[in-house]
Amino acid sequence: MKAKHREAIARRAVERSRADQTEVRVSTGDDALTRFAHGISNQNVAGDDVTIAVRAIVDGRTGVAASNDLSDASVDALLERAREMALFVPSDPLVPALPPGGSAPAPGGCYVDATAHADPHARATVSDAIISRAEQAGYWCSGYVSTATSGTTIANSSGALASFDGTDARVNVKTTAPDSTGFAEHYTTDIRELDGDAAGARAVELARASARPRSVEPGVWTVILEPPAFGELLTYLVSHFSAQSFSDGSSFCSDGLDRSYFDERVTIGDDFAHPLAPSMPFDYEGQPKLRLPLVEAGVVRNIVTDSYYAKKLDRPNTGHALPAPNAYGPQPLNIVMPAGTKSTHELIAGTQRGLLISRFWYIRIVDQKRAIVTGMTRDGTFLIENGKIAGGVRNLRFNQSILEALGSVEFGSEQKRTGQYFYSLVVPTAKIDRFTFTSTTEF
Amino acid sequence: MEFEALAHRALDTATICGAQYGDIRFENVRSERIEVRNGVVASLADGRGSGYGIRALVDGAWGFSASSDLTDAGIDRTAARAVAIARASASIARERFGAAPPHVYVDNYATPLARDPRTVPLGERVALLLEAEKLAHTGDRIAVARAWLDLWRTEKYFYSTIGSALEQTIVQTGTGVQAMAVGDGDVQSRTYPGDVGLYKSGGWEIVEEAALLANAARIGDEAIALLTAPQCPSGTFDVVLGGSQVSLQIHESCGHPAELDRVMGWEASFSGTSFLEVNQLDRLQYGSAAVTIVVDNTMPSGMATCGYDDEGTKSGVSDIVRDGVLRGYEMSNDTARAIGRTSNACVRAQSWEFVPMIRMCNLNLLPGDVPFEGLFDDIRDGIYMESNRSWSIDDRRLNFQFGCQIGWEIKNGKRGRMLKNPTYAGMTPRFWNSCDAVADAQSWNAWGTPNCGKGEPMQTGRTTQAASPARFRGVSVGVGYQ
Repeated sequence: MKAKHREAIARRAVERSRADQTEVRVSTGDDALTRFAHGISNQNVAGDDVTIAVRAIVDGRTGVAASNDLSDASVDALLERAREMALFVPSDPLVPALPPGGSAPAPGGCYVDATAHADPHARATVSDAIISRAEQAGYWCSGYVSTATSGTTIANSSGALASFDGTDARVNVKTTAPDSTGFAEHYTTDIRELDGDAAGARAVELARASARPRSVEPGVWTVILEPPAFGELLTYLVSHFSAQSFSDGSSFCSDGLDRSYFDERVTIGDDFAHPLAPSMPFDYEGQPKLRLPLVEAGVVRNIVTDSYYAKKLDRPNTGHALPAPNAYGPQPLNIVMPAGTKSTHELIAGTQRGLLISRFWYIRIVDQKRAIVTGMTRDGTFLIENGKIAGGVRNLRFNQSILEALGSVEFGSEQKRTGQYFYSLVVPTAKIDRFTFTSTTEF
Repeated sequence: MEFEALAHRALDTATICGAQYGDIRFENVRSERIEVRNGVVASLADGRGSGYGIRALVDGAWGFSASSDLTDAGIDRTAARAVAIARASASIARERFGAAPPHVYVDNYATPLARDPRTVPLGERVALLLEAEKLAHTGDRIAVARAWLDLWRTEKYFYSTIGSALEQTIVQTGTGVQAMAVGDGDVQSRTYPGDVGLYKSGGWEIVEEAALLANAARIGDEAIALLTAPQCPSGTFDVVLGGSQVSLQIHESCGHPAELDRVMGWEASFSGTSFLEVNQLDRLQYGSAAVTIVVDNTMPSGMATCGYDDEGTKSGVSDIVRDGVLRGYEMSNDTARAIGRTSNACVRAQSWEFVPMIRMCNLNLLPGDVPFEGLFDDIRDGIYMESNRSWSIDDRRLNFQFGCQIGWEIKNGKRGRMLKNPTYAGMTPRFWNSCDAVADAQSWNAWGTPNCGKGEPMQTGRTTQAASPARFRGVSVGVGYQ
């Protein structure tokens, strides 16, 4: 569905609403994903849907109703249902005026026709190249190739009207050798950039290089985290920059901004326009997103807000609302960290004894306030001795405060896009001086 | 049935396009959520949607396509797309593995309801949560209190080219209350019931069973008390886990590794593989003789209880672990056939947009014969832990570390001081072999998990692991806080 069509539906709904304030979101999606394992496609799927969601506000009371029926009669009923629901709840004095929106041009490269029109054979071709690489090495692999097209339109009774169309294409593969595994991923908006042969070769290379893994003792190690590993770790710090977490007192920085919490080499931003991960330029209230520094040279400078928390905390609305109703508060969805100066090879060469880690698995929060997390290494963990890779090691479990990890860290010279859940991250390789492992595995 | 004519059109189109087997699953889904946060209704949402997913089998390979377009043209387009995807699957397949289901059923099923949630006025639902949330604010240190209610209703209509026609109405209900205390550089939370609330299939009777108003103030008091409670010690201790924590332990260390698609490597790139390899079947001493774990998709109140799974296989009861020995898996038609068995109806899709896949369903630890308090009797120096706070396990489901919201020391058979930040860790078979007692049916409950993630694209599953408290000997405690 074209943006003009979505906008017509959204405008009509806002005009017909009897609520004091109304926000209408019209979303479309067409997603396809080819999954493969052991030389078969075990799941090969596609689907399309439309959604219309109405947020009705009456005297500080809010109701949200959603449907995937866009007929006029259904939308009229939806408007009335949201309004009537709102009448059942107490008034909240902090409910703000809906933001008026503003100019929010999309960054270049968000939408690529080739991705939008990719057919199942295009995904099969990339998958086949990955599978062939594993077969040539005598290994097996599993993973996926996906394409997606999405459209979002937000309109509200304060005059906001914003539309965005985007595409997404991804490869993810894990290759399994007799006693080791390797991994590769690639995120882009353009399916033509997906190189199955290169991804397959990278995963094979990691599996081969980590063969015959040895055990190392848990304890405190210097680690070099490649972007997928560092990005996943960072994901568990990101929500601390939400105004909700800040306001609740559960964020590490709830005691105050403009304080140094990290190594001065740590700078973190939220940037929807980074060329490696161009994204929607407005939030789910139609408010233009700010390209926001969160941490500058180790000092926390900003938290992200939406209209509710901007009013509550008397701070600017940074444009980071999630779709209503939202229990998670505003979130920075487009994390970017600048690169350092050394290549990964140079970081390794400068390490007397340490571990090179490709990827983490199943990180969970152990202690919220101190940002202690636990998790496992996965799919390519290597011992570094005397500045060189000395072979693969068996996987380890860590328990580590992210705050302390970022207290002494340096960064590699190349940024890569990675992602976890609904966060997009563009991060470099990170070398962390002290990282605590508490146990090992037998594989 | 509501969608019968559209179903025939879709299956005819798929057949004409070349499918050797096809099925279609229509769903009408309604999802209502209310969440009260610090005195205001932060979420009041009512979502409704309809759509369908079509599976097509071509040359032993599957394709799946879904849409909400219920026009004839939309049905035709989606059916043809499913077949085109199946052809693409076949074009890269190194072997033929898919086949049509072996059985045909024509039937219907509906979740039994003592009180249909739709008959409970919205004002009554909101008032209950506002009161529960207010009660949890037992002191200034409660920074956030929340109370929530989820009501889900799914009407499913399944048809296949071999003649199955199934109509099911599944109703699931969940509710809970949480208090988060902040102070002295610390954050402590308590949730009731369990760690996510009480989630079961059924109606308003689930909300009444949860008894939020009778327990909200207690969990507020406990959250505040945890701020100043002593740190759980580190070392090796005998441990008693509360029922909801045992439920999560089953979920992570038995439920996921016993998914046969994971065992066969189909989840390797995302959620991992499994140590429960097929050559271990009927041989591996997974746990002690006290440990019997079964799939039961017929039990009352289970989140996964239904008449038929999303491949059209009839629900039943089967062993995963019997008297400590690995006896079976959670299976689909294709994976079961690969090991010479038949499906035990463990295939679910999150909703119509998603392809059916093996999901943990109702997977229950059968109760033992020891009263709950009896679990403490011969523990000289141990820890009792309740309600999960943190969970992590490796990608073969062996090395795990869990944290709980609250603990108490056990001294000479008696529960003693409250402890903060209790954690424990272990290796799965070693841990379950250290289980020497499971509490009796008096404390057995159908603990539901509403948000189990698996698959790519990620699907959220609703599952139950019924359990009672259990005792484990010689457990590593306090990891992460040493």
